[in-house]
Amino acid sequence: MAKVKIEKLPLAKKDKPGPSHKFGRMDVVLFIILLVFALLIIFPFYYLFIVSITPPDIYMNNPAVIWTPRVTFEAYKGVFEDRNIWNGFGITCILLFGGTAYQIFFTTITGYALSRSKWFGKNFVMNMILVTMFFGGGLIPYYILIKSLGMTNTIWVMIIPGAIDTFNMLLMRNYFASLPKELEESARIDGANDVQIFVKIFLPLSLPMLATVGLFFAVGNWNSWYNGMLFNSDYSIRTLQQVLQDIITEPSANIPILNPERVNEENFKTAAIFFTIIPMMMFYPFLQRYFVKGIVVGAIKG
Amino acid sequence: MEKILISKKQGFFYSLKKRVVSSRFLIMMIIPAIIYYAVFCYIPMYGVLIAFTDYNSYLGIMGSVSQNWVGFQNFQEIFRYPHFWDTFKNTIFIGSLKIVISFISAVLMALIINELRMRFFKKFAQIVVTFPHFLSWVVVASLFIMILDNTGVLNNFLSKNGMEPVHFFADPHLFRTLLFSSDVWKEAGWSSIIYIATMAGISTDLYEAADIDGATRLQKIWHITLPGIKPTAILLLIMSVGGVLSAGFDQIFNMTSRLTNPDVIDAVNIIDTLVYQFLQTGMPEGQSTAIGLFKSVIGFALVITTDRIAKLCGERGII
Repeated sequence: MAKVKIEKLPLAKKDKPGPSHKFGRMDVVLFIILLVFALLIIFPFYYLFIVSITPPDIYMNNPAVIWTPRVTFEAYKGVFEDRNIWNGFGITCILLFGGTAYQIFFTTITGYALSRSKWFGKNFVMNMILVTMFFGGGLIPYYILIKSLGMTNTIWVMIIPGAIDTFNMLLMRNYFASLPKELEESARIDGANDVQIFVKIFLPLSLPMLATVGLFFAVGNWNSWYNGMLFNSDYSIRTLQQVLQDIITEPSANIPILNPERVNEENFKTAAIFFTIIPMMMFYPFLQRYFVKGIVVGAIKG
Repeated sequence: MEKILISKKQGFFYSLKKRVVSSRFLIMMIIPAIIYYAVFCYIPMYGVLIAFTDYNSYLGIMGSVSQNWVGFQNFQEIFRYPHFWDTFKNTIFIGSLKIVISFISAVLMALIINELRMRFFKKFAQIVVTFPHFLSWVVVASLFIMILDNTGVLNNFLSKNGMEPVHFFADPHLFRTLLFSSDVWKEAGWSSIIYIATMAGISTDLYEAADIDGATRLQKIWHITLPGIKPTAILLLIMSVGGVLSAGFDQIFNMTSRLTNPDVIDAVNIIDTLVYQFLQTGMPEGQSTAIGLFKSVIGFALVITTDRIAKLCGERGII
């Protein structure tokens, strides 16, 4: 398919179809549909926030609160004082920084190697990787493998098996391949070696794509729970998502003893949910274009 | 004759050595990937042999293969297991309907965003509708539970106003509907992006020509926009067909985490959750692996078949 430079995404050219810029009846209908859908997405978050700040006595009288006359931040205080939540937050931060850096490193070098023109064994490796996209061994052999590697009940099980994500690796590979070949040739004439060409020329040029891939990894790590749930029974290495999961499914065992006058179970649950999504809410509007860029470039070139 | 062969061989090895040396940096870079895929993808693939054995963890995979080989006995056993076929039917039903629904919702969302003329609102709406994709199912399931559960806001509102409460989490049909709608809620905006990008790539000349011919907006959508996204749509459909049997473990696991009603749980039990239950309850590894292998083989066959069909219909395949 057509190659598109990353600075000139087709998405940037808005309002293309048709020169008829009149705001017609159809636009009103479309506007209403989109508005309703957007409100359906916003409402749960709004409701959750209201519940988290509604004092228990008001909530008891009317659990279907849409608005609260009095506000309390006791639940957030409870969340901020909860050791399990902070512990989960710490583990998730290790994944978020350590895990993401580890994934970016291995995914980038693999993508770069596979983007270079011809080298011995390239097709073999490429096919070896593509096969894994369509066929896998399933859960049980994977489980036995992880167990025999001695990774159960360690934090490593949430990091090491994620080294390379095939989709993100292909994104990087396609981006490296789209950079002009002359860059490499002229650098070689100037006497640069392979390492210098990669580190000093290709890496700085691919920073936008690195940012995109890094963000995908970061979100994945922030949301990580599956491997932890499967392989770790140790409570001290639960991720934030796992802690939240336990709070929602078994509130009695996982919510600290609270003063029922000032904060109830629902307050605490909603505040905990909010605690896990606030970072995403804060950063997402500014980062959205990077995510979009990744998916668009990947699709157009892949 | 022999001499020529020998010299050819020498030449081959000489050039091989030269090729390896000249690309040594790239080969060094790829070694971690080879190790990674070998360990985390190919060893489990080799591990499917467990499906043909009466696996014993002391013997390991190799030992079990050589000493406890049982052929297709595990498959016969799981096929006899009545729960298995119900689960299989559920998986096919939920998985395929999910593909259809998410495809339609993504295309509709893309059409709406593409057609709408209000720039600022469009940008805002796009941020809002793509956001849920980045939340984990842990969070999304909690949101839906908080709002639609028996004690959630909707039912409290309904009962307060003298209406019958709707038991989304207690009725098998309603719960399945909830699975599909929560999937649309989370993914429609994000999956639409790819179609929006494809639509933006359609040549403006086509629309101008249509304008000259006096085409209406709906006609332009039908005759230009939709055919324009057809190749992308087919590509994505082929890709998603392989995932029919995956049907969303994360979603179902988290949405059912608080349920105790066996009817509802059975109605949304899929192959992945079954394997997970097998793992949790300590069922024989051979049988659980057999279920997993059954799933992988069917998924692979589906991708190949869809790809062939698409190629027969004159579309670009993926393989």
